[in-house]
Formats: sequence, C-alpha cells, structure tokens
Amino acid sequence: MVVAQLALVANGYRDAHNYFAFQPFNESSTYAVELVRVLDDGQRVAVPNGRWEGYDWNELIGWGPLRSPWRQRHAFSGVDAVVDFLDHALDWMADNTPGDTETRYWEATVTYYRNARGPNVTVIRSHDRELGGP
Amino acid sequence: MTATTSSASATHWRERFHRWLSEVFDQPASVRGAAVLRIVLGPCVIWHLRPFLADALDGITYHDRFQQPWWAWYPNAPEGLYVALLWIGVAAAVLMTVGWWSRPASWAAFAVVAYNLFLSQTHFHHNRALLVILLAGVALCDNGRALSLDALRRPPPDDRALVWPIWLLRFEAAVVYFASGFSKLIDPDWVGGRVLHDRTVRYQHEVRDALGDTLADPVLEVVTARAFHWVLSPAAVATELFIAFGLWFRRTRLVAVWVAVAFHVGIEVTSHVQVFSVIAIGALALWAVPSTRDRTLVTPSRWVGWLDWMARFDITVAPGASWCMVDRDGTVLEGREARQFVRTRLPATFLFSRFWRYR
Repeated sequence: MVVAQLALVANGYRDAHNYFAFQPFNESSTYAVELVRVLDDGQRVAVPNGRWEGYDWNELIGWGPLRSPWRQRHAFSGVDAVVDFLDHALDWMADNTPGDTETRYWEATVTYYRNARGPNVTVIRSHDRELGGP
Repeated sequence: MTATTSSASATHWRERFHRWLSEVFDQPASVRGAAVLRIVLGPCVIWHLRPFLADALDGITYHDRFQQPWWAWYPNAPEGLYVALLWIGVAAAVLMTVGWWSRPASWAAFAVVAYNLFLSQTHFHHNRALLVILLAGVALCDNGRALSLDALRRPPPDDRALVWPIWLLRFEAAVVYFASGFSKLIDPDWVGGRVLHDRTVRYQHEVRDALGDTLADPVLEVVTARAFHWVLSPAAVATELFIAFGLWFRRTRLVAVWVAVAFHVGIEVTSHVQVFSVIAIGALALWAVPSTRDRTLVTPSRWVGWLDWMARFDITVAPGASWCMVDRDGTVLEGREARQFVRTRLPATFLFSRFWRYR
C-alpha cells in the first residue's frame, strides 16, 4: 500500500486529474466554452443557455464543474482535467440524447486562462452520432 | 577506529529498526486513536453521502447524469440497489460513531463510500479519496476496543491491539500534506503567489458579501495586494511541509498538530472543501502515543476523567487532595505544575496549553 500510494503521488505529475496524488488547489485557471451542434448538412447551431430539442445541458450534466460552461468558470482540478472531462461529456451527450434527431456531433471551443495567462483556445468534439435510426 | 565506530553505529541503527518493526507489527498497543477517528468519520460519511441521498430522494441517481466510469468492468448497481447501498452507508456510519459492531460497520461504510467513489470519475475529490483511505485504515484496526458500545457491552481486557493500520494511516496522512506541499513548492506559479493571488482577486466579492463594505475594504486592500501573496504562498507551502515532517517527531509533534488545526480551520473558512477539514483534524488523533493510563494522577476534580478521551492518565479522584502526577519516566509533578501538564495532554485543552506556559 505504501508503494502504491507513492506511485499514485508520482503519477499525479503526469495525470491531468492527479487522482490520489493530493494536489488540491493546483491551479487558478478559468475557462469558457462555446457549444455548438453540428448537423448532418454541416450547419453549426449554437446552443443558447445549453437548451436544445427539449434537453438541458445543466440538467443532463448535473456535475458542478461542467455546469453552465458558456460562462467563465473556475477550472476544477486544472484546465487539463476540465478539457478531458468536457471531451467525455460531449461523447456522453451524443450517446444519451435519443430525442435529438438532428445533431451529427457536438463541438466545443474552449477558451481558457491558465493561472490568469491567456487566452488559449482548444477545440474538441464528440464522436459522430447515428441519425435516422433503424 | 573509524571502521569500528561506523560498525557500531550500523548495529545501533539496525537494532532500532528491528525494534521499530516489532513495535509496528508485533506488539499490541492502544487503538484509542483509531477509535477517536472512527467516531469522527461516522458523521463525515453521512455528510459526504448527503448530496447523493438528496438526489436519490428526487429520483435522480448517477445513472441519470453524465458519468465517466473508471473501468469498463466495474459493476453498475441498478437504481434501487444503489439507493439501498447509500442508506446502508448511512446506517453503518451511525453504528461507527456509537461503536456498535464497530469493525463490521467500519468495513460497510468503507465499502459504500469506496463503491460510490469508483462509480464515476466525476465523484472524485481529494477529500473523498482521503475519506476512503481513512475508513479502510480504521476498519483494518480493531477499533471497537475503546470508546464504543462494543467495549461497554463486552469489556475487553484492555484497549490494545495490533497497530500497524495506525502506522499506515500516519503515513497516508503525512503523504497528503507532503504531496500537496511539494507539488506547490515546485510550481513557480504557486510558490510565487500567482495562483492564490488570482483566486483571491476572483473571489473577493465573497469576502465583501461576508464582511460588508466597511470591514471588507481594508481586508481586501491587504489580501488582494500582489506582495501579500509573495509571502502567503511560500508560507502555505512551508506549513504543509512542516506538518508532513513535524508530525513524525516527538519534539515537533505538538506544534505540528497545532499548526495543522489552524491550517485546516483557515482552509475551511476560506474555501469549501467538503469533509476534508474535519477528517484531517480527526486523523490527528492517530499521532497520539499508543499507550494508555501510563501516567498516574491524583486530582480533586472530576473534569479530567471526562476530558481524558485518549486515556493518558490513570486517575484517582480524591476530593480535597492536591494535584499530583507521576509521568512515564517517574518524574513527579505537583500542584500547579501537575495541572498545567495535564492540560497539555487532554484533547480539548492541549491546543491552548502553550498559552498556559507549561515548562
């Protein structure tokens, strides 16, 4: 257990989430996201206040650090952790919104300030969704 | 001559190391520190599970929201079973605190909290990780031998058991301070004050809300100054590293505990860290020397018995008698000196004992 804990602490310098590495308050970074749905014909549709097709981003995400990401937010556990979670969240959103029959994939343009330095921009997207159904 | 000296020194250290190994793994000692921690952890488990239970009462579980599994093979409990597990966790936490079926209850609370943590990476917080580790350590220890209903119902011969889990928990507790302090020490943005300064500036409205304009203005003038953080940040890093090492040595332990309590209170006041502050302060009980009633005390007052949760003294209450205390090494203290010494060894008073200037 001692060796495992030391290994996890060392791994924290490589892992964006630093799980079990005990590096709290590691950054004072902020981020904001421009969320768009990309439709089958390539049209890019904004998602005002995270609402579309009867869905609500905040309700589906439910998790504080990724709520209302269109506003400037504190990057919980650092920018890298948030971008990684957001990447997975887009995939999860793509898989769990069967009533949305238009969106081919999700795209998020993340503008972030790492410890007040920036802005930096990175773009992430979900996997493609199957549209139309059987 | 040099070879002989170094050989003697090596032998000395080898013997000390063997003694230490025997103390850790073979010799039973008091598990009262783990019992105190068990009592603290119970309410913390309930506090930790509260938001999950609140959601469950609204019909929402992790199934309904974004989740990021740790491992594909990890079993997902159906909704009904998941909610039942949360309630089992609450029941186990209550039993932990009162010390009824102490050890099985500790294992059950650990199992529920750990299972919930590993359902989704979004459930991870450092305070929850520490909670899981502390629960595991307490469960590994025969923690019901003291301060429990178990001990009242079936009194054990003494409060001693194998204490290697306590040593393991000491290591984990020290690692938390060290890992946090060291990661900040090697981060120029942190140790240079940039991180804390930016956070303070960003959240200054909360200070204003809490204190009101009249008080907040002079406070904010100081705490939002860049120069203030050139001092505060290295001081915070030094504090964490001091606690990490200071707890290990008898000479620095009392100061390290005092600094740790002040540090956690400071964090709790300025940030919301869920159960972290409480469990970290509770874990300080693990650093008490694991021996009990090895000092004798004659006292006219009953309050010592009520406050001596760590069983530091073999107490005789004699109305009208003057204070007399015999320490582990045979030193005898009487009157005011004995009273002041006792205050340095009681959990409720030791933090302030320095102000009473015991020498």
